Amino acid sequence: MSTTLQPYLKAVRQTLTAAICVENFSSQVVERHNKPEVEVRTSKELLLTPVTISRNDKEKVLIEGSINSLRISIAIKQADEIEKILCHKFMRFMMMRAENFIILRRKPVEGYDISFLVTNFHTEQMFKHKLVDFIIHFMEEIDKEISEMKLAVNSRARISAEEFLKRF
Amino acid sequence: MSKNTRNTAFRKVDVDQYGEEVYEEDQTADEGATGPSDAEVQSMLAKGRNGDALQYVLTNAPLTSKNQGVKDKAAQTVLKVLMSLKANEIEGSLKGLDQAKQDTLMKYIYRGFENPSEGSSAQLLVWHDKLFAATGVGSIVRVLTDRKRV
Repeated sequence: MSTTLQPYLKAVRQTLTAAICVENFSSQVVERHNKPEVEVRTSKELLLTPVTISRNDKEKVLIEGSINSLRISIAIKQADEIEKILCHKFMRFMMMRAENFIILRRKPVEGYDISFLVTNFHTEQMFKHKLVDFIIHFMEEIDKEISEMKLAVNSRARISAEEFLKRF
Repeated sequence: MSKNTRNTAFRKVDVDQYGEEVYEEDQTADEGATGPSDAEVQSMLAKGRNGDALQYVLTNAPLTSKNQGVKDKAAQTVLKVLMSLKANEIEGSLKGLDQAKQDTLMKYIYRGFENPSEGSSAQLLVWHDKLFAATGVGSIVRVLTDRKRV
């Protein structure tokens, strides 16, 4: 199972490198406006084919591209109830601070846990390969952090239950 | 004029569709493209000619067809062929493909990722890796930009 992690991340990295080629493109519909076309979706000719890369039926990445922006949605592995809750809270924590993250989207796309929106302005300011590195690193670390949090919750629960029951 | 008739339906008309530069998806649909025949593929797989089966399904891919059912059926057939090939045979079968077939194969790999079943994703990741080694980023870009979806 864990043997698919590296090929999975490799495939995501390769696809991201291909899709992150975005350039400036002002809105065709409203003059003097510049909108990320992958979010607006008014003109079909500006949108690329959305591709999915999955590791199994629970973990997948959806990459939707367009001429001036790219949307990456990640579905994180959540094996049981407590991981679901932890993941949800963790993602919510980050999404509330999406402004500081710059490329994070405030709401995940339907069916996924977290979404990123990378526009041509971001790629002009930051290195594309570094952005890709960041997203891959994020995917790797998320699983580790959620496992760590789960262990922490379990051990805290055990300790506090022990202390409480010592009285009886 | 409109005030006389009190008919405000003109406001609902989408004037943008009448502009000269409106983009229309390619209307030319090839109704004849019926995709690879399942029986043919089954017989090739049974005989163990997996490389030939791959060539066959890629040559007969229904790229120009508008019928979603035909495309779904073809996608399933291709997935079956991809699953049947073992890891060490993959490289050999990739050698015989020209660029167009490689792009079509990449499209099918991504299509296969959309419906993950038992163990299919792991095999598809191996295919993706090997095909990428042969073609590079170009084939992924062609998959993203090509209007002829698989």
